[in-house]
Amino acid sequence: MKLSEALSLVQKAPADAQPFPVLLACGFTPLHLENYLAAHLQTVLPNRKVRIATGLYDDLVGTLEQFDPAGAEAAAVVIEWSDLDPRLGYRKLGGWGHRVAANILETTEAALGRIEAALLRITAATRVAFVLPSLSLTPGFHTSGWQASGDEIALRGLVAEFARRLISRPSVALLNEQRLNERSKLDERYDLRTDLHAGFPYTLKHADALGEALAALIASPQPKKGLITDLDDTLWLGLVGEVGHDGVAWDLASHAQIHGLYQQMLQALADQGVLIAIASKNSAEVVEQALARPDLVLPREKVYPVEVHWEAKSGSVERILKTWNIGADSVVFVDDNRMELEEVRARFPDMECILFPKSDYAAGLKLLHRLRDLFGKPRLAEEDAYRLESIKQNQHVADSMRNGDMAERFLAAAEASMGLEFNPPATDKRVVELVNKTNQFNLNGVRYTEAEWQQGLNDPDCFVAVVSYRDKFGPLGKIAVLRGARTQARVRIDTWVMSCRAFSRRIEYQCLSQLFQRFGADEVIFNFMSTPKNGPMREFLSAVVGEPGLALTRQAFAAKCPKLYQKVVENYG
Amino acid sequence: MDSREDKLVKVFQTVFPDMDAHTARGASQESVPRWDSVAAITLMNVIEEEFEVQLDFDKAADLTSFPQILDYLGEIQADAARL
Repeated sequence: MKLSEALSLVQKAPADAQPFPVLLACGFTPLHLENYLAAHLQTVLPNRKVRIATGLYDDLVGTLEQFDPAGAEAAAVVIEWSDLDPRLGYRKLGGWGHRVAANILETTEAALGRIEAALLRITAATRVAFVLPSLSLTPGFHTSGWQASGDEIALRGLVAEFARRLISRPSVALLNEQRLNERSKLDERYDLRTDLHAGFPYTLKHADALGEALAALIASPQPKKGLITDLDDTLWLGLVGEVGHDGVAWDLASHAQIHGLYQQMLQALADQGVLIAIASKNSAEVVEQALARPDLVLPREKVYPVEVHWEAKSGSVERILKTWNIGADSVVFVDDNRMELEEVRARFPDMECILFPKSDYAAGLKLLHRLRDLFGKPRLAEEDAYRLESIKQNQHVADSMRNGDMAERFLAAAEASMGLEFNPPATDKRVVELVNKTNQFNLNGVRYTEAEWQQGLNDPDCFVAVVSYRDKFGPLGKIAVLRGARTQARVRIDTWVMSCRAFSRRIEYQCLSQLFQRFGADEVIFNFMSTPKNGPMREFLSAVVGEPGLALTRQAFAAKCPKLYQKVVENYG
Repeated sequence: MDSREDKLVKVFQTVFPDMDAHTARGASQESVPRWDSVAAITLMNVIEEEFEVQLDFDKAADLTSFPQILDYLGEIQADAARL
C-alpha cells in the first residue's frame, strides 16, 4: 500500500463510527508505522474509527508503564534492537565491537526484563500484539558478515527466551517472523536516512508490512470451523471407482505425496477441533473400503459425515452443514474439479471454495499454508477436542428426541451434569470467544472485544455465568455464557449465548432455573434483538416468554419449564 | 496527465486533509500550523512516492513552502532528464 493510500484510507473512516482506540508502543518515532497500522486496521474494521495513541520517543518501557488498558482496545508493541541497547542502533555513538559486547548483553537482558514486567501489567484483558526486533543487527561484531558471532547468537537467544515467556499469556500475540520475512525482504527494511533525520528506522515498504501484520494480529478474522473435501484426485490420487481401493495413492513412491500432505494437514486440523467431512460422487462401498485402509493418514473416525453418492455436491454440502449446525461462511470446500466448485459456490456464495491443485506443486504448498491461515486460532481450548464427538452425539440425541416418551427416557438416563461458574477470571478467553462466535442461540448478536467485555463488568450488580456440560456420552466443555445484572428481585440478561452443540438437552431451561434460584428473582428481563441468524433463540423465547423482550416471571417459567435432569455444580471464579 | 503543480497540490491535500487547491498552492510552514516536523517528513515521503524521485533530506529541511518544493522538484526532474 502506498503511503498516500494509507493516509486517504484513515481520512475516509466514518466520522461518527464507534472509535477503536489502539496504543502503538515503540521507542522510535511512530511516523508511518502509525499511518500504516491505522490504515490496515481501518480496512479490516470498516465500521469503526481507528484511533492510534503513541508514547514518548525513546521510552518504550515508559509508554507501556503509563498505558491505561481502559483507554484502548488493543496494544501494538514494536521492539527494536536500539530499545534494548542504544548501541544496537545507529543514532548513538556508544561503541561497537567485542570490547562492549558483554555489556550490551547485560543491558539487553535488563531492558527485556523491564519490557516484560510492563507488558505483564496490561496483558490480562487487552489484546497485545507484539513484534520482536525486525531489523538486521548493526555491523558492530567481530566476525565477518557471513559468520554469526557468539554475541549475536546470545542476543537473539535472550530475545527468543523473552518471547517464549510472553506468549504463554493468553492475550499476547507474537508476530510470526516467518510470515514477515515472506512479506518484507530483510535488506529492504532499514532506512538510515529517515532514522537519522526523523528517528524512524523503517522503509515505507517495511512499515506497510508491519502495519498489515499488526492489524492481522489485533483484528484477526474468526477461524473457519469446518472443511468439506472431495476424494478422487484430492484426498488421494486416482479415481477410486476405476482403480479400486488399493489403486488410489497418497505416498512419495507413487508421486502422490501432495495428497498425503493434504491428508496430514486435515488430520492436524481435525486434532485442533476443525470438522472434516467428505462430499464425493462415487460408489459408497468402494469409498468405505479405501477409507478403511490402515495407511490412510487422515483417520476415518476423524471424518463426519461422509456423503458419497451420485447426486449434486451442493446437496451433500447442505446436509453436512445441517449436521454440523454451522453456517456456510464458516466452512471451506476443497475439490479438484472447477465445475463442482462453481456448483457449490453458486448455492453457497459465502463459502470459501478452493481448487485442489493436483499437479502444481507450488500451488499445493500454497494451499497447505492457506488452510493454516483459514483455520488457525490463537489458542486451543479444551472444547476443541470434544467438537466432533458432540456432533455425533447430537445426531443420537436428535434421533432419540423425535419420540416424546423416548426423549424423556433419553434425558433421564443421560447422567448429565452442568457446571455453573460465576464471574470467571479475565484470563479465561473462552468466554469472549464463545460470545463472539455463537450465532444461533444468541440473545442479540452483540460482539465484544476483550477490553469492552472487561469494561462492562465494572458494574457491581453485573454477573457472568459460564456453563459447562457433560453426560455419559462425554463432555461438551464450556458451552454457554450469560451476562447480566441483578437489581432487587429482577435479573436482566444482556448476553446469552449457547453453542449449537448443546441444543436439545434443556440446558437453556436449566440456565434460567438457576438464575431464578441463585438470585431469588421474581422476573427475568431479556435484552433481545433479532438477528439474521438467531432464530433458535427467538423460538426459545417465544416458547417460554411469549413475546421476546417481555419479562419472564418465576410463575410463568415454572409453568413452562419441562422436567430437568442435570445435576448442577456451582463454583466461583 | 496531471501537471507537476496539480500533482503536488494533490500531495498536499493527502497530507493536509480538507486543504483546498488554492490554499495548497500558497501553503508554507508559517501559514499551515499542521505543517510540523512529522508532517514535513510525511510530505517528503509522499512526494518521493508520487513523483518517483529521491529527495535530499538535508536540503529538504529548507523547503518550507509549496513554491519552494515545486521549484526543487523542477530542478531534480530536470537533472534526471539530463542523465
